[in-house]
Amino acid sequence: MQMNEPPTLARLLGGDRRAIAQAISTIENDATGQDDLSRALAPHLGRARVLGITGPPGAGKSTLVNALLGEIVARDLSAGVVAVDPSSPLTGGTVLGDRARMGEHGGHEHVFIRSLSSRGHAGGLARRADRIVDVLDAAGFDVVIVETVGAGQSEVAIDALADVRIVACPPGLGDGLQAIKAGILEIADVLVVTKADLPGADAAWRDLADMLRLRREGRTKVPVLKTIAAQREGIAKLVDAAFAHVDATGRGQRLRTRLPHESARERMAPDTTQDESAPDRVTRLASRDPFAGFLGIECIGGGAGCATTRLRIGARHINFNGGCHGGAIFALADTAFGLASNSHGRLASGIEAHVAFHVGVREGDELTAHATQISRGNKLATYRVEVTRSDGKLVASFSGTVYVSARGHAG
Amino acid sequence: MKIVPKVLVTKIGLDGHDRGSRVVAAHLRDAGMEVIYTPPWQAIDAVVKLAIEEDVDVIGISSLATDHRIVPKLMRALRDADVTGVAVIVGGIVPDADEAMLLDAGVARVFHPGASLDDIADYIRSIVPAMREARSVTWETWHE
Repeated sequence: MQMNEPPTLARLLGGDRRAIAQAISTIENDATGQDDLSRALAPHLGRARVLGITGPPGAGKSTLVNALLGEIVARDLSAGVVAVDPSSPLTGGTVLGDRARMGEHGGHEHVFIRSLSSRGHAGGLARRADRIVDVLDAAGFDVVIVETVGAGQSEVAIDALADVRIVACPPGLGDGLQAIKAGILEIADVLVVTKADLPGADAAWRDLADMLRLRREGRTKVPVLKTIAAQREGIAKLVDAAFAHVDATGRGQRLRTRLPHESARERMAPDTTQDESAPDRVTRLASRDPFAGFLGIECIGGGAGCATTRLRIGARHINFNGGCHGGAIFALADTAFGLASNSHGRLASGIEAHVAFHVGVREGDELTAHATQISRGNKLATYRVEVTRSDGKLVASFSGTVYVSARGHAG
Repeated sequence: MKIVPKVLVTKIGLDGHDRGSRVVAAHLRDAGMEVIYTPPWQAIDAVVKLAIEEDVDVIGISSLATDHRIVPKLMRALRDADVTGVAVIVGGIVPDADEAMLLDAGVARVFHPGASLDDIADYIRSIVPAMREARSVTWETWHE
């Protein structure tokens, strides 16, 4: 096979598509050299206007991005897009479908689109998405658009990622609005009512405008716009509003936001800086758990703050009623909980756990437990574990708290 | 480190029968892969650009109504764009007589009706490490 000429930093900075793509892969795959790459890019950052787009699932974010791309290329500007889709917590697999809705401009020579799987990372953002935005910024795109997983409140992480944060709200969300208003609406620099041709758009617009009036004084005025992306309506206004915000606060605002965030996180939980070694640690800890081994529980993966375990229900897991013993399910969830909470390298001991069983389990079923971190402070951390059957049914929900000791693990 | 295969599932040409490509995309997702799915009717240039930008390991072309006959054009376009380390596989209805033509053009493998979804996933998993290796960049190459 013929070898490519190696992509160089100069080619990346010159906007070479393959060099950009490979730089992103280097970061995405956590490959060696990414720190050097990030250092090399640092002097070239803060040139692009970075637009973050977030909102609940079905808000029409991808369609909105497609319309924005049309407007941006019509203004003779170039755009790089990072579109984040959630990955399955069970298999890690994803169908990255955002691109399908951006197909109209995906082939344009001034457009670069990259799909990212969230790979289980909380906060709606793929791991190191900020560094991937940096690559597109350094590559010379006039505008970089980051579209994040529609998940709700946890998307505040977009703060350190974009210079202007656009929150998309579809009409008819009703009480759903309650769920997001405390989280992502608070961080919005521009609010957009999408699908404004649908009934309820005016009501949604009024709700948002009213809500803004309740916010604390002294903040910049947040425009509330309406768009019908499929017909290009309101798109030029949205681009104007987004650019106006970036130009008022200055490009590269995200870089200034990032630093205090990172240091604050480190103050809270110094052990999370060792995330790179987390997957290996989870595997190692799992391999020396005699009780899990006794029950037949295997660990099938993990990382910083998360772990997945699996158990095939055999005759020895059955109770007197002929169903699976609740203790077996608890132990499966508890093992994932223990591995996730100990993944950061500091000794964590469970102090409280709760389980709810939803459906019955029989001999021969295969159960998977996936533990994710909800919060982590210096002393206490909480985790949620979902146990599912191979047909996708939620079998049990588990939550637990650990006390985090200052010590590391023995051995 | 565990490799997550990145696969483009797409259709070129004028045929719009996309049920097969959707089934394959969903199965590869459930097999733990990252799948870029596009609607049918993709232009060859757009597929090449997408494969480069997304840095995929495999391009899967679904063909149910003779679109496989333009796959050699895609292979040529990939070569012209210097795309290496990306395997092209074709699935669907490909007459036996045409399979040799596709393999000659550089297609890695053709899956016929009746091929099992697991076979497709296993095959992709088996070739991805070599594709990754062929496209890999090291830190040194970031410098001129």
